[in-house]
Amino acid sequence: MSAAVYDEPYKLPAGALALAVHGAFFALLYFGISWQALPPQGMVVDIWDSLPEMKSDPAKVVPPEAEQAEPPKPVEPQKLAEPVQPIVPPKADIELTKKKKPKAKPVEIRKPAELKKSVELKNPPVEQKKITEAEKAQQAAQAEQERVHAEQAAAIGRVVDEHRARIVAKIRRNIVMPPDVPDNARAEFDVTLLPGGSVLSAKLTKPSGKEAYDSAVERAIFKAQPLPLPSDVALFNKFRELHLIFSPRE
Amino acid sequence: MNVTQDLSFIHLIENASVLVQLVMGLLLLVSLMSWWYIFLKMFAVRLAVKQSEDFEESFWNNSDLIKLYQSTTAARGDAGSMGRIFVAGFAEFVKLKKKQGMDNSAVMEGTRRAMRATYQREMDNLESHLSFLATVGSVSPYVGLFGTVWGIMNAFRGLSNVGQATLAHVAPGIAEALVATAMGLFAAIPAVVAYNRYAHDVTRLSSRFESFMEEFSNVLQRQS
Repeated sequence: MSAAVYDEPYKLPAGALALAVHGAFFALLYFGISWQALPPQGMVVDIWDSLPEMKSDPAKVVPPEAEQAEPPKPVEPQKLAEPVQPIVPPKADIELTKKKKPKAKPVEIRKPAELKKSVELKNPPVEQKKITEAEKAQQAAQAEQERVHAEQAAAIGRVVDEHRARIVAKIRRNIVMPPDVPDNARAEFDVTLLPGGSVLSAKLTKPSGKEAYDSAVERAIFKAQPLPLPSDVALFNKFRELHLIFSPRE
Repeated sequence: MNVTQDLSFIHLIENASVLVQLVMGLLLLVSLMSWWYIFLKMFAVRLAVKQSEDFEESFWNNSDLIKLYQSTTAARGDAGSMGRIFVAGFAEFVKLKKKQGMDNSAVMEGTRRAMRATYQREMDNLESHLSFLATVGSVSPYVGLFGTVWGIMNAFRGLSNVGQATLAHVAPGIAEALVATAMGLFAAIPAVVAYNRYAHDVTRLSSRFESFMEEFSNVLQRQS
């Protein structure tokens, strides 16, 4: 039999259909998983919380400009007053020359006045700009400082959270689980720590209802000494009093 | 690692390790090929069934075998497998008949052999690519699993550097790795379904051809 007899007539349609199936599948996967990625985007908002402050600062910078447009006006009269004084000596000169050319007086007096007016018009805006720029720079610096503070606070918060989690994990490792503890048992403890990670006291603030579990957690808290603290001693204040919640689940 | 992991599909593939990406690429290729064969086979089997039905109908309605032979040879490409079996058998039968001194049973034996040879060839053509589908169906889950295991191994190795292990550290790596398994299954499931379906269709066609051969032999025997 010749090869032509077995020639597949549907190669192209089959290929197109195969591609279409894959296209549909990947579209489904893409949109399906990006939909699931929305919750993490909600967590992005937490981090942006610090940034809106930055945005609000530039926003604050704008209204001051409008306010500053008015205050500089009092500055203008002062500068007007100063230039006016130099006008007087010319007058004196003019008085000296009065005898020779009396008609020239009014013209010369008007001219300086006009000149000064033009000077007034030119100079003040420049100074206004300088002032607003300086204030802008100040506010930008403030915003930066605030941002740096926020970042530092965030870093500290991260370290605190991490060590808190480590403390809880270490205690949890040491719990000898008594039998028949219901999953929803919740024991809450106020733990007072000493620098170095040893436990000064552990007070049960909210019993779980299962005494065996409460005492097991309490024993575990003391057994887990020294608790892991951050190497930065300055952060110890955040760990002096800890409110910890234990639950058999998790 | 950030808390805000972008778990979108493309991001997962981009972040996977090179080997996992290779596995994913291989699986994508295999999946494309298997779907191509699935559609190819779908059209081929459908065509074969239709041609066989048409030919059987014209065979039983047409008492003149010579006329049927001529029309079938004229439409050689469109005659279908059954038509080709008929042509091979009838041509052999006529040739053997022309030879003098041939035993009747020997003529029938030769005709049968000729038909069987064509039948084998037709079956071979119908079954082609089916083995590929079977292989894809059985192997690609393992390939995907290999990619996943490798990805998870890497995820855990990265984890050893972190003191406090949280779910956020492991989750992205595992999600990346599991994409490979998903792709393996995506390639395998349709391939298995298609293999079973087409294997069944081809078996039915083959039994149909065989019964046709028997019936045609009887018709020839009656005429000889």
